[in-house]
Amino acid sequence: MEAQEDNSQLLKDCAPYVKFAKLDELLALGRANSLWPLTFGLACCAIEMMAAGASRFDISRFGAEVFRPSPRQADLMIVAGTVNKKMAAAVKTLYDQMPEPKWVIAMGNCAISGGPFVFPGQYAVVEGVDKLFPVDVFIPGCPPRPEALIEGLLKLEEKLTGKRRWPTVKPE
Amino acid sequence: MISKEAIISNGAPSETFVLNLGPQHPATHGVLRVKMTMDGEYIVRAEPVCGYIHRMQEKMGENRTYAQFLPNTSRIDYLSAMTYTHGFVGAVERALKLQVPPRAEYIRVITSELNRISSHLVWWGAFLLDLGGFTPLLYAFDDREKILDLLEGITGSRLTYSYFRIGGIYNDVDDSFIKGTRAFVTQMRPRLKMYRSLVTDNIILRKRLINIGPISKEMCRKYGATGPVIRGSGVPYDVRRVEPYSAYSEFDFLIPTFEETDSMARYMVRMEEMAQSLRIIEQALDKLPAGPVMAEKVPRVLKLPAGDYCYAVEAARGRFAVRIVSDGKEIPYRVKLRTPSLSNLSLFEEASAGMLLPDALALMGSLDLVIPDIDR
Amino acid sequence: MNPTVPQLPNSAPQPAPTPAPAAAAPAKPAVSTAPQPPAPSRPPPPPAPPPPNPLAHLSFPFNGVDYAAKGYHCEATVSPDQVVAVAEVLDKEGLSLDTITGVDWMAEGQMEVVYDYFHPAKALRVVVRTRIPRDNPEIASIHKVFPGANWHERETHDFFGIRFLGHPNLTPFLLPEDADFHPLRKDYAA
Repeated sequence: MEAQEDNSQLLKDCAPYVKFAKLDELLALGRANSLWPLTFGLACCAIEMMAAGASRFDISRFGAEVFRPSPRQADLMIVAGTVNKKMAAAVKTLYDQMPEPKWVIAMGNCAISGGPFVFPGQYAVVEGVDKLFPVDVFIPGCPPRPEALIEGLLKLEEKLTGKRRWPTVKPE
Repeated sequence: MISKEAIISNGAPSETFVLNLGPQHPATHGVLRVKMTMDGEYIVRAEPVCGYIHRMQEKMGENRTYAQFLPNTSRIDYLSAMTYTHGFVGAVERALKLQVPPRAEYIRVITSELNRISSHLVWWGAFLLDLGGFTPLLYAFDDREKILDLLEGITGSRLTYSYFRIGGIYNDVDDSFIKGTRAFVTQMRPRLKMYRSLVTDNIILRKRLINIGPISKEMCRKYGATGPVIRGSGVPYDVRRVEPYSAYSEFDFLIPTFEETDSMARYMVRMEEMAQSLRIIEQALDKLPAGPVMAEKVPRVLKLPAGDYCYAVEAARGRFAVRIVSDGKEIPYRVKLRTPSLSNLSLFEEASAGMLLPDALALMGSLDLVIPDIDR
Repeated sequence: MNPTVPQLPNSAPQPAPTPAPAAAAPAKPAVSTAPQPPAPSRPPPPPAPPPPNPLAHLSFPFNGVDYAAKGYHCEATVSPDQVVAVAEVLDKEGLSLDTITGVDWMAEGQMEVVYDYFHPAKALRVVVRTRIPRDNPEIASIHKVFPGANWHERETHDFFGIRFLGHPNLTPFLLPEDADFHPLRKDYAA
């Protein structure tokens, strides 16, 4: 029919200017490229997180330099440091206050499993922040290098978008 | 301070409210909670609540052998990790009467002073972030990365080193470290001048810090405050000079002391200390002796004779002292860590009464706190 | 060194066959059946001088301590009711409070409270110790003398359960607000 022929010619003409995609994929790309972390440095890993945000490692290249002090404005919680039983309630409250969609990176051995502070008879440390809420990416290290934090961020982006947009560093 | 009568006569309510600062807050440098009873913008009473990063370091001292406790020492105050390890190994060496070889002592001094500069750079960047200026943080971290490159070359770690061992250090330094450190000292001096003209002489910073948060000599003495807090109040107390340890008595350096007792004085103490640390590093590199870096005859199984042993060092934040109580076994009976941030923060309640909230935050930043140092 | 046999004054006459002639070698020991005192191989080393006691002018029993061996200059063991008086005296001397801590001597049924002081102008580290019974650990608070003791005493209470009488706010400091355990006691099990 004529209408259909018009359509196909129209599509061919528009092709250089109009792209079609799923809305979900577009949203995922937007979210992955502008993750806004919550300033949640608890202990030593916080310093490496600050170093990742500073000039040499520059997390701003990946869109994540806007550390928000308020959980209402953040969508990524990087738990950098040891979570204490006294602090656990506050951490959970902060997680609950973050609006959906939200993600969690557990940075450092303490956030993964309690780190070097676990011993038989320990009374103060929560052995891993995934005991409080679901975690998306675990970054081991004590403390992990800023490059490791950036790699963890890229893995989170891969989790969101389904593919990794940055080259993987291959060990030589 | 505006009088209550003036406020009430204007129709404002005369009640106070409680404002909770933290435990998650960008300006508290870690997980510190301060319960502040406020009268408008003025603080009536600020009560710090600690314990949100209590990691049982002293209990772990009773669960670990002397060698196993070394990584813990780096994590008490992670910004000044070398000096904290120094305190612990110094106490064990004092108890066992081990002679640390001179080369190891000099390298300990060089790495401790590099660590002190990197700690002061983090303090400087974070303090200015609290006061509202973001850029100095980027400059400070850039310089700090150079120090971390040097230290990573010999220790393998960027932040929590565990470089010192009981009896010496575990890895000797090589030529690239010595050359790199000299290059760093050469390029850091003009940077300090730049920081002075860019930030220290900045009128906004001076208005924020001069005459803000005075802490008298007597208050420092009553609370046990040490480090730049007491040196900014006119008392030249520095453990490196009063109770010299390691090789510090062989170097020529000044103890910067300022009489004004306000936040600007504490700020200037730390800036001058960075310059003095560069002097110490240069002298130590010039006089670095050859020789072994580990004491001879360090026992494989460390058992300290029964009794208690103390050792104090000047960390970046103040006096850090370790007291080990031993009952002759392989694990200590009690390890007590005397940390500077606890004593420095304990005077905050008295010092901040009646201050405006932003001024109190400037005072807290000038105390240079690391909260895991308080909570251990 | 030639060992010399000490000649006892007014000793029993030596059963030497002849008295030692003046020309005889003076080093020849006299033969005697009486038991000789043991010959010292060298003079005994002089006893090490006691470490100086910078606080000897105070009325409390301070002892000088070898700083190089222990890390402090003076120590005193006092009874629990004297800690406030000692604190006042040391405050007048110009010392500052370093820290307060406890040690749980479970086998002896006692807890030791250790007060560390340092001087901000000269090398003077003072340790004051006291012992209190473990099943009822109470001691006076020194916070009126040194306000810095406030937090140290709270921490010692947290870890050991020692009650500081007269303390304005003996609530948990490092442990959660509702904590009812004292983890550094030797019989603590999580």
